[in-house]
Amino acid sequence: MSTSTLQHGSAAEHGHDHEHEHHHDLPWYRKYVFSTDHKVISKQFMLSSLFFLFVGGAFALFIRWQLAYPGQAVPIIGDILPASWATNGVISPEFYAQLLTMHGSIMIFFVIIPFAVGMFGNFCIPLMIGTDDMALPKLNMWSFWLVPPAGLIMMAGFFTETGYAAAGWTSYPPLSAQTGLAKFTISGQTLWTISVFLVGFSSIMGAVNYVATVLNKRAKGMKLFDMPLTVWALFITAIIITLGTPVLAAGLAMLFMDNFLHTSFFLPDNLVTNSTYFGGGQPILFQHVFWFYSHPAVYIMILPLMGIVSDVMATFSRKPIYGYKAMVFAIAGIAFLGFIVWGHHMFQSGMNPLLGTTFMLSTIVIAVPSSIKVFNWLGTLWRGNIQFSSAMLNALAFVSMFIIGGLSGVFMASAPVDIYIHDTYFIVAHIHYVLFGGSLFGIFAGIYYWYPKMFGKMLNETWGRRHFFWTFVTFNLTFFPMHILGIGGHMRRIYDPNVYDFLKGLGGINETVTIGAIALGFSQLILVGNILWSMKWGKKAPRNPWKANTLEWAAPEHPGHGNFDMDITVYRGPYEFGVEGRQDDYWPQWEKGASVTVHHHTIAVADDTKTFGAH
Amino acid sequence: MDGFFSVFDMLAWFPENISTFGQELDNLFAIIYWVSVAIFFLTFGVLGYFLVKYRYSPDRRGYNYHGNSVVEITWTVLPTLLFAAIGLYSDDIWERTKYSSKVPTADVEILVLGKQYGWVFLYPGADGTFGRNAHNDRTARSLMSATNPFGRDTADPAGFDDVMTENQFVVPVNANVVMRGSSLDVLHSFFLPHARVKQDVIPGLWMTIWYNLFKTGKYELACAELCGGGHYGMRAEYEVMSRTDYDKWLDARNAEVNAARTPQPAPTATTDTAAVASLR
Repeated sequence: MSTSTLQHGSAAEHGHDHEHEHHHDLPWYRKYVFSTDHKVISKQFMLSSLFFLFVGGAFALFIRWQLAYPGQAVPIIGDILPASWATNGVISPEFYAQLLTMHGSIMIFFVIIPFAVGMFGNFCIPLMIGTDDMALPKLNMWSFWLVPPAGLIMMAGFFTETGYAAAGWTSYPPLSAQTGLAKFTISGQTLWTISVFLVGFSSIMGAVNYVATVLNKRAKGMKLFDMPLTVWALFITAIIITLGTPVLAAGLAMLFMDNFLHTSFFLPDNLVTNSTYFGGGQPILFQHVFWFYSHPAVYIMILPLMGIVSDVMATFSRKPIYGYKAMVFAIAGIAFLGFIVWGHHMFQSGMNPLLGTTFMLSTIVIAVPSSIKVFNWLGTLWRGNIQFSSAMLNALAFVSMFIIGGLSGVFMASAPVDIYIHDTYFIVAHIHYVLFGGSLFGIFAGIYYWYPKMFGKMLNETWGRRHFFWTFVTFNLTFFPMHILGIGGHMRRIYDPNVYDFLKGLGGINETVTIGAIALGFSQLILVGNILWSMKWGKKAPRNPWKANTLEWAAPEHPGHGNFDMDITVYRGPYEFGVEGRQDDYWPQWEKGASVTVHHHTIAVADDTKTFGAH
Repeated sequence: MDGFFSVFDMLAWFPENISTFGQELDNLFAIIYWVSVAIFFLTFGVLGYFLVKYRYSPDRRGYNYHGNSVVEITWTVLPTLLFAAIGLYSDDIWERTKYSSKVPTADVEILVLGKQYGWVFLYPGADGTFGRNAHNDRTARSLMSATNPFGRDTADPAGFDDVMTENQFVVPVNANVVMRGSSLDVLHSFFLPHARVKQDVIPGLWMTIWYNLFKTGKYELACAELCGGGHYGMRAEYEVMSRTDYDKWLDARNAEVNAARTPQPAPTATTDTAAVASLR
């Protein structure tokens, strides 16, 4: 009897915390709003992230308009912009600083992390390890329900006197401490701090839950090394979150006190400012605390997608992952190294240059596990039978864009090169190649891959391909030229590049980038249209539409509360494609059967005495 | 057509280099660039080849193969060697450009302060030494204000001839310039694009910034760290002068300071900011 089967006996094993889930007469607000079903929570994360994706994207388009056409009124909506944003339709420098802050903060804290960890973590972990729900469903519910209030709090900065937060998503003090304002002033920055604190809390609750679930609730027969890479990646990501996020919370608490109560954790004495401070603090301390979390956060944003892309690539190449264990160790290696490289964000910060040497060498080491992953993905494609579905196209985009993003990372990892490119558009290009070209393409791949299991309907493939095509082309048109802007010396976060003589030759590139960005933004409407259209009119999804091996495809077409309608026992690893001696080219983890391994190949044998663990 | 292809020659977009170590930094960039280009074409070539060669066909099956330790070790060791080489070579340059023990003896010493939104500079003047100020005496920090950014002690005779300039500064060519930078309010970053110099300046600390420029002319200083709404306009100009011109410039400033001091002993900022397109 499997622990994953709800109907029989498992409630006794798990105690009373699942008791309520057996009743299917829950009121509507418990089913759709305050639900403890991991799949509903996953959809909630998806919805809120999609919403914030468009909010953050809109902010980005304002930024792009200003950079390409500085001093010109925003077209179409210029006249209706509030006075605090624009005068005569022209974006003000103060609002520009708010735009770039909100774009970064929303995209990181309300789009990519909730998508990668919230949505996929919730959807994939229980289904892929063959269990009914998370270990701690109520905690799971709260981890989502902190996100909307946090989002509202951050957006409420609009109503404060100084507008939204405007110190960049990194919010370095003293700027973010807003020394010009009186004590107890609630500003956009104060709200930003509270908001990020709350989403951090949400992350921690989710992560604790993921670790508990993966360690305790795997289906019968599933060893850790039988888990799909998606689950491995999410598991390791959850560990990063539990170790890193509390540090950010501490930093934010100190920043909040500096900002709101005028303490001086980060404020030195004798600042020339309107307000009084005790002084004696150290601005660089915040950067250390912030990046101690926020560098691992970069991996929080990419590791889950690396896992997802691996699964998608194995399924659509009809091949086992090349070097499965190497992939797991590479993820773990990246996660560990992620904690000892934060100083590479601070080469020019005034930190002792001796530390620059240390952080440069540790950073460059990260390129090694990253390249191991890329080579193993290429190895997975080798001698495959590659199907170019929308999910696969997005996964391939992830790999190729991650190669570019990884290579541009080597430039800034080299501290002397970073002297020049630090805080220029080269960094902006890099982060977008990794977080859009990487994470977001990975997210798209995941959406196309699991949509059938989420909604019981197939996504429209034709529109999926169109969405991919336009996104891929306009993405590169938008972000590749940013490398050139950076080499030209174009600083990031400047309102008007034309102020500087040495940037005058870059106007054309700025225009190209903006045109690309607008097209990129509108291309995403295809995705939303497809998601909504297919929900109603999409083809009904079969149980295992991609002929994949992992356990979520053992669940019914549109699994309800409790997930599985059969006992799940795991007999083999997740990537047995093209096994010799079998009719089908795939061999699901839950299907009984014995095999032997000969020279890195799996061969099915007709020996029923061996039940599982034969690889 | 040349203009079109120049988009792909990324190295051509650098502003002209004018500092002694700048060439070394640009060369390092170029090395990493060409290594990256090679890796890019290699991986994308393999990727493209696989995608075409192994595209779906109904009468083929994927090859059941789980990987090979020899291959894994090879593609772990090779990148390690490559990246270690880049790291060690980079570190050599890093040490020479940034380590405090490697800062050369100063031919010219200048103090610089960032503030919202502009830059102020202090020269030691005719006597070659600074008077008491917030840099050489921490207790003088309490004198710092918007009108006296360097916290200069007006009673110290050594500081009578110190010269302060706003949003522009002058350095001699082929000389080791050592600057000590700090900030009045928030973080700023002292960025000389042509000299390949960048250093954040932090209130409460003094950062050492040094360079040696080999080409005369007028160049720009930018702030590279977000410091508020006016961040983009935090621009200053500097001129690299021949030694004689620099001495003349110093003499002229000296005369100005003396003229200003004669009726009333008080520190004065030179007010030739009109020459700079101030955006505030």
